[in-house]
Amino acid sequence: MNKIDRRKFIKSAGLAGGALSLAGAAGAGYSAGADKDSYTGYGRTNYGEDQFFNRKPFIVDNPTYVKKGEPVRITAVEDIFKRNGMLSRLMFSRGDIEPAWKPADGIDALPGQLRDYYKANPGALEEFIKAMEKGRAQRANWEKYRDKYFIADAWSTAHSSPIRGRGAFPAEPRDRPEKSDFRGVNKVKLEPKSPSHASELIKKICYSFGASLAGIAKVKKEWVYQGSLRGVGREDYEVPSHWKYAIVIAVPHEWDSMYANPTYGTSYDAYSKLRFIAGKMEVFVKELGYSSRPHVPPTSYDLVMPPLAIDAGLGEQGRNGILITPELGANTRLAAVTTDMPLEPDKPIDIGVSRFCEKCKICAEECPGGAIDFSDKAETVVRGYKRWKIDQNKCFTIWNSVATSHARGCRVCLSVCPYSRKNNWVHSFAREVDPRDPTGLVASGLLAMQKKFFNYPGGQEYLPPPDGNNRTFGEAPEWMKTDEWFKI
Amino acid sequence: MFSNSNILGPLFWIIMGVLYMVFITGLVVWLKDLNIKMNWWKWSLVLLWFILLSIIIAGGFTLIGENEMRAGLLFIAVPGAVMIVAGVALSRFLFRNRHEKQNN
Ligand code: SF4
Ligand code: SF4
Repeated sequence: MNKIDRRKFIKSAGLAGGALSLAGAAGAGYSAGADKDSYTGYGRTNYGEDQFFNRKPFIVDNPTYVKKGEPVRITAVEDIFKRNGMLSRLMFSRGDIEPAWKPADGIDALPGQLRDYYKANPGALEEFIKAMEKGRAQRANWEKYRDKYFIADAWSTAHSSPIRGRGAFPAEPRDRPEKSDFRGVNKVKLEPKSPSHASELIKKICYSFGASLAGIAKVKKEWVYQGSLRGVGREDYEVPSHWKYAIVIAVPHEWDSMYANPTYGTSYDAYSKLRFIAGKMEVFVKELGYSSRPHVPPTSYDLVMPPLAIDAGLGEQGRNGILITPELGANTRLAAVTTDMPLEPDKPIDIGVSRFCEKCKICAEECPGGAIDFSDKAETVVRGYKRWKIDQNKCFTIWNSVATSHARGCRVCLSVCPYSRKNNWVHSFAREVDPRDPTGLVASGLLAMQKKFFNYPGGQEYLPPPDGNNRTFGEAPEWMKTDEWFKI
Repeated sequence: MFSNSNILGPLFWIIMGVLYMVFITGLVVWLKDLNIKMNWWKWSLVLLWFILLSIIIAGGFTLIGENEMRAGLLFIAVPGAVMIVAGVALSRFLFRNRHEKQNN
């Protein structure tokens, strides 16, 4: 009798143990999913070991971008912000002065660079005019949406404050790089034990300043702007000889607001973080006795960031034109500091982003502006390199269309990218296994799950009525919902 | 997990370990009472099945924790259905073996 009871007890306990362990697995899983610490860059510490992906197995000698023809430096007019700035200054003159150019004047009446650009890019000027109209409608409609996005707008404005005006940090260079990059350099200069020591120290300092990722690249001529130099103005110039290396820094946007793009997220949270990190790094490097110059968002760059970051081994370029890193996915924002400090450059990596993008196309399907290329392969040649084409002008129209107080950006292509996921075991498994699978089957399986299981509203839905329904990719975090905190 | 405590996390995993041991001990007795003879590879299959089931449940709930309710439920439902079929097939195989042994 006793024996039977004992057996029965063990059997019942076994059943209960099995059920409870499955419940425990569910609880552990839920907690891993909900844990804010699994947002890379927002963990307990910037040195957190689990923050970093082990790049070693994926290091390659040559970067994954594909050269086609002769590389050409980017000119100011090819940069959407600079181009739109030039055109806006002509169209919207201050005071009573007559505008220097009106759409009715036609492309031929535009000054040289702009005229050449718009002639070479048919439809681009019409798109800009459309964006301006959308912008007017956006501002007129803001009253309707203001209360709903009140916190989001205030949050974004607060983040943009270190970027604006005279108090901006870091300050814009005021003269030639040969002067400004050396201003304040410490006369005492210690020689690093080796370039590799110097690189390691610099990265550690970047992390201590709040960078999520940091890498070192040699400055290549083709990544440097031509025809426009900060502190100097419009002129053609040779790459300054002291721009030897670039310290490339990456941070993510705050993750929950980023998932709630386009209307709750902002670009400025990452931008202001990057400016502080790069600005402090400029000072740190100068204190060590070397020249330095920060290149920071939104527009204070003399170098193009994504290819520089690819050289620095941070990631690869995606279909959406954004640098995709294993840790942050497309939720990666970049700044750099150029210096003559002797550093050891990092090597690029190949984690198979292009191969994945060839199959994925989610960003292209979800882009409200149809600005992202659907072609299978990256075949468009831009300044001597193959890539998927991004229609910046269409993208800018969407910035002016979504329900924000002004053209604050869209960033849907960051949120929807399957690489932009939490640093927890489910996504880490995908990140680790997919690049090691030569057959591509893992990528196909993951992608099938991604497309069938996850909710993708579809491009138009992100727009305000009547075109769409102001949808966001993810739900807004409760701290961004005005009705949770205010009487509305 | 348990972000406000550095005691509860390790304790949770200790308890999980104990639960798995209790489950396996109970399973040994169940299988003996059912007259099912086990060897190393049959045990491997049974444990693999259970571990996979745990992973699928944990994976689904991870997605639910990320606020991806639909993805989480489908993650459990689709591979979960495969696991149920596999589980039925595995148990039938183990039982068939038992009958064969009894008939001999
Ligand atoms: S920011 Fe928006 S509009 Fe621009 S490319 Fe990305 S998804 Fe398209
Ligand atoms: S959404 Fe897909 S196609 Fe677009 S960048 Fe990300 S992985 Fe590539």
